[in-house]
Amino acid sequence: MSFKPKIISFLCNWCSYTGADLAGTSRMKYSSNIRIIRIMCSGRVEPTFVMKAFREGADGVLICGCHPGDCHYHEGNYKCLRRFKLLQKYLQQMGINKDRLRLEWISASEGKQFAQLADEMSAKISELGPCKVKKVMETS
Amino acid sequence: MKEPRIGVFVCWCGTNIASVIDVEKVAEEIGTLPNVVISKTYKYMCSDPGQEIIMKEIKENNLNRVVVAACSPRIHELTFRKVLENSGINGYLFEMANIREQVSWVHKDKEEATKKAKALIVGAINKVSFHESLEKRFVDINPATLVIGGGIAGISAALQLADAGQKVFIVEKNENIGGHVANIDLMFPYLFSAKQLIEPKIQKVKNHENIELFLNTQIDEVSGYVGNFESFINNGNGTKKELKFGNIVLATGLKTYDPSGIPEYKYNELPDVITSYEFEKMLINGKIQTKTGKKPKNIVIIHCVGSRDEDIHTYCSRTCCMTALKYANQVRSALPKSNIFEAYSDMRAFGKGCEEFYTRSSKKNIMFLMFDQKDGKPEIREANKNDDCSMIVEMNEKLSGEQIEIPADMVILMTAMEAQNDVKDIGHAVGVSICGSSFFIEKHPKLDPIATTTDGVFVVGSCQAPKDIPDSITQAEAASARILSSISKGRVQVEVTTAEVNEEICCGCQTCIKVCPYTAISFDEEKNVSVVNEVLCKGCGTCGSACPTGAIKCRHFTDVQILSQIEGLLSKSLSTSTMEEK
Repeated sequence: MSFKPKIISFLCNWCSYTGADLAGTSRMKYSSNIRIIRIMCSGRVEPTFVMKAFREGADGVLICGCHPGDCHYHEGNYKCLRRFKLLQKYLQQMGINKDRLRLEWISASEGKQFAQLADEMSAKISELGPCKVKKVMETS
Repeated sequence: MKEPRIGVFVCWCGTNIASVIDVEKVAEEIGTLPNVVISKTYKYMCSDPGQEIIMKEIKENNLNRVVVAACSPRIHELTFRKVLENSGINGYLFEMANIREQVSWVHKDKEEATKKAKALIVGAINKVSFHESLEKRFVDINPATLVIGGGIAGISAALQLADAGQKVFIVEKNENIGGHVANIDLMFPYLFSAKQLIEPKIQKVKNHENIELFLNTQIDEVSGYVGNFESFINNGNGTKKELKFGNIVLATGLKTYDPSGIPEYKYNELPDVITSYEFEKMLINGKIQTKTGKKPKNIVIIHCVGSRDEDIHTYCSRTCCMTALKYANQVRSALPKSNIFEAYSDMRAFGKGCEEFYTRSSKKNIMFLMFDQKDGKPEIREANKNDDCSMIVEMNEKLSGEQIEIPADMVILMTAMEAQNDVKDIGHAVGVSICGSSFFIEKHPKLDPIATTTDGVFVVGSCQAPKDIPDSITQAEAASARILSSISKGRVQVEVTTAEVNEEICCGCQTCIKVCPYTAISFDEEKNVSVVNEVLCKGCGTCGSACPTGAIKCRHFTDVQILSQIEGLLSKSLSTSTMEEK
């Protein structure tokens, strides 16, 4: 059986979650391996959440927030961006390819962009293959 | 924590969900999970019978938590919270799994969709297991309203509120109120005078004891929350004034598209190619004439200039077809012998009295010619010296399939309505997003077209989307009704999903104070801990992710809730959370 990646996606309530809803109302088809978690702001994404996702067997994590300057809470997306940069470095130290974690800006009107992003992310993670962190942690 | 007794309700949404997801199988398998007491499906969970099923099961099975797997929580979360409250359970002991917008509408493979739906529901079950009751909090409402923009929409909203005895501030950036309607001669489809409509309203606003009007004035950043906003306004001379108000009506209106970007129409190159806005001025002044002062013999009116155009604005501006017919009627009366040509791409005559207006107009010796907006825009060129007209409009007439040349002495371009240049700044100031076409986004396009995602901010008139006068007035008066109903309650519910500091764990590092965008966190020097002001906190959760000790709990999005949701989404066999409350 071909590898089907599991991707956890954190979407902010105001822009990105609404954008994903728009993809739905517009009946745009995209890859079914994205599982969405709604948070109020991308600034709420704790590094622990991302690590937990990999620990539980996710092969990729996608974080989406409002475009720079459009955050419903003014600057939560900038905070997220800073944490994301640090987290990418940390992931590499853990032996996880940094491309498994992605941060993108999706506005409430960008349903099409969200659908494309989901497909792109799914293709990229399929190419990288399964994330072995869970296995390693279970055997050690 | 009481042992969770969870009820799961899976919605078919007619065929919207049930045609892709095997809802019965999902409900059956979910029903086997620990703590899930009941798992059921129904055609429309949000309908009255659907809600009654939930209420009945809560009572009969003594449920203390509920998961509904249906549409987006953005649509029906509040509906179902109410159901819980009506059954005596706190509304926050509820979670939705979005299996319509995120599954059945976006995935084709039924097996995959069913699998994903199950995962989303397990995630929701895990999360709801850790939900806590949250008590609603209320604050008194300031009955004053700020109306931004003094066009027909802003004026209509302001007068409704002021006539009901409430204080209104109108902030208008121009030196006059009345907006675009004040620059219109007659209105379609009945050809009444716009002046007679708007002038008495302008006078009433100026003399109203409850309305304070600020001209040549703009607003700065708005702070606060529904019921208690405040902002500074400034009139450009450096004079600032502080205003306090409980609700905001955004009525900033539209501007007209500048057609010089379309090379075929040679606007700004040929003197007698004018915009609808310029022609309207001619009508108000009572003189239809060319730049050289002659009466035009041939008048061509071109529709959809900047509207329904993939390169400019994809939307329809909704009023231009009828305005174009109005011009044809007015020209026919003023210049009975002229030749009038309407070059249109599709004739849109929606709305009361409009199709009839089109039928009446078509009997007035007006030539209707159709063009293809995508590949066949009419092209205007200067006529030869010995021609009997000053310009020639060349077009491929779509219905006859013939390439034709129309004589013209005046060409009127029916320019699109577009968003104002400063929408982004205003949107930022009041916390409302703009859509891809730069109009303000309403809370829900069908179910809540007047509210916005920021409580207490309403959007009316053409700043939400192109509108005619009756639609703008309808929307404005609807917004006033919403505001009056919140004022009459006297108090308003504020955010309950705020942050909370566990003083025993807080180490006093003050990182949270630095990251809070609302200065909602202060430091208690005596106890050496951070303290959240729950009225100022809007629940973004940034402090929670920054807190190094885990002392900050972001209510309704706590660490344990999200971590166990992650477990649920990724669980291979259907199993619930291994997490424990801290």
